[in-house]
Amino acid sequence: MSKDQPLLVLDDIKMRFGAIEALRGVSFSVDGGEVVALLGDNGAGKSTLVKIIAGGQRATSGRVVFEGRDRQFDSPAEAKAAGIETVYQDLSLCTNVDVVANFFMGRELTRRVLGIPILRQKEMEQETAKALAAGGTSIPSLRVNVEHLSGGQRQAIELNRFVHWGGKLVLLDEPFAALGVEQTRRGLEMVERVRARGIGVILITHVMAQAFAAADRIVILRHGIVAGNVKTEETSPDEVVRMITGGIGRIARATENQPETGAGT
Amino acid sequence: MTDTADTRPSPAGDSRRRAVVGFILDNLVWLILIVVALAFSAAIPNFLQIGIFLNILEQSTFVGILAVGLSLTLIAGHMDLSIESVMALAAMVVALTFGTGGAGGGLELHPAWLSFPVSLAMALAVGIVIGAFNGLLVVRFSINAFIVTLGSYIVVRGMVVALSGGRSVYGLPDAMRVMAVDRILGIPLLAWALIATYIIFALILTKTPFGRHIFLIGGNVTAAFRAGIKVGGVVMATFILSGALAGFAGWLLSSRTAGATANLGIGMLFQAFAAVVIGGVSLKGGQGRLSGVFAGVLLLSSIQTAINVMGMPPHYTQMIQGALVLAAVLLDTFKTTIRRHYL
Repeated sequence: MSKDQPLLVLDDIKMRFGAIEALRGVSFSVDGGEVVALLGDNGAGKSTLVKIIAGGQRATSGRVVFEGRDRQFDSPAEAKAAGIETVYQDLSLCTNVDVVANFFMGRELTRRVLGIPILRQKEMEQETAKALAAGGTSIPSLRVNVEHLSGGQRQAIELNRFVHWGGKLVLLDEPFAALGVEQTRRGLEMVERVRARGIGVILITHVMAQAFAAADRIVILRHGIVAGNVKTEETSPDEVVRMITGGIGRIARATENQPETGAGT
Repeated sequence: MTDTADTRPSPAGDSRRRAVVGFILDNLVWLILIVVALAFSAAIPNFLQIGIFLNILEQSTFVGILAVGLSLTLIAGHMDLSIESVMALAAMVVALTFGTGGAGGGLELHPAWLSFPVSLAMALAVGIVIGAFNGLLVVRFSINAFIVTLGSYIVVRGMVVALSGGRSVYGLPDAMRVMAVDRILGIPLLAWALIATYIIFALILTKTPFGRHIFLIGGNVTAAFRAGIKVGGVVMATFILSGALAGFAGWLLSSRTAGATANLGIGMLFQAFAAVVIGGVSLKGGQGRLSGVFAGVLLLSSIQTAINVMGMPPHYTQMIQGALVLAAVLLDTFKTTIRRHYL
């Protein structure tokens, strides 16, 4: 992959649910080591877009180009295998098992005994402890079931999980919703650490301050199309708010986009 | 909810007390079983004999093995009501093929011992086919497992009656009665089969990624799917295993009864359910340990045996077992409360 080629390119993504058009031709791109904040009002199509990128939903039309190849991920497993990590709005934890089991969910370390895969519990516990310590999260016992942990601790597990696994592209769907001020600050630090490793980040948020604190670029979705795509240092919260609410539209990059009317669909 | 765990300095004594409470809660069924066994031994003359305990173990085999399959599907967040009928069908197919009396076909294999593995393979195949059918409907067509397996429960029992024409089969060759007759170290082979099944499946559930995934799916299927776990495949496998275990139980049952009748094993589904619930498997999925289920099975057959030994009418067994199930559910709620306060 050449350096100047974007990590992820969305090209004219459309998504239709029956008569409803959730996405009416969305195009933007994300580079490795770039944080793109995705903003938009409720119902702007953010979550649908996440599902299309992260696997689990197929776009009605349009192309998803990941690392220069046309990809449509049919399941989260496929997207994950390709290097796309996702932190969802509603937490993806199993509260009936312990912290370690959650941290390694779907990626359990095993060794083979007579050809049968056996879990390597001790190694997984050590790695989890290391990762949580690196993320500055303290959880009294890693063997405690997640149901006994607070909302903040749960979210911390999720965030540490993506930092640890990373991959090539991380999608964060309102990851700081349940966090306090200090934890949110730490979460934004985690985003920064991931970016420093050359991983691309799409951060979906409602909070303008978070977008401006973390993102290199801000993409605004409105009624299923890109209403704005601007460098963070070249815009202001006021302008972004106006783009979200439909006051103005501005595309900084030369990415072709459907006109707002949605004609031709 | 009190989240004091991370702020309170936890002195060694406190954590030890918590460990003890946790251990007792985790193994409550075993404690109850020991108390009940001691009480029976003290109250009933002639109860305290090794023979009676071996008998309890042997009697637990069929319900016990069914309960393992039921636990697998329940932990994965589904259930399998068809196990009792699958067990009966497997026993009937084996008996019809090899039985010499009644409706039996009287097939003879040379050498004679071949009937042992061949009948086992047949019984397992019956279970696997029906398990796969159940799994297919649940996974592919997203039909509720209660409905799917209730249907199978009825259809498969119908097949048992239809195949046998309502007649019984008796007279199995000696090679097939080995499991019911022979002993190793003085312990009946049936009991060994039961113990081996529990050890193998307890290891699968706790030590393998497959077992871990069953718990994860039962706890939060969306999270498991997002984490890249092949949810459909794992759920399918639990139904196939549940069917295969029921087939295995049927094979053992045919050996024990040296044949099969059309109403073989009726009522065992509910005993298996009772044992599983008493053993601490949550009907909501994601919770349960086979050690608890094993204790639940032993508890039920201990009570049954005690009632037999005392010469009480057998319907008392039903009443007591029913009451035990309700007590187990209450106990479970109670345990959750205790956990919240002390752990």
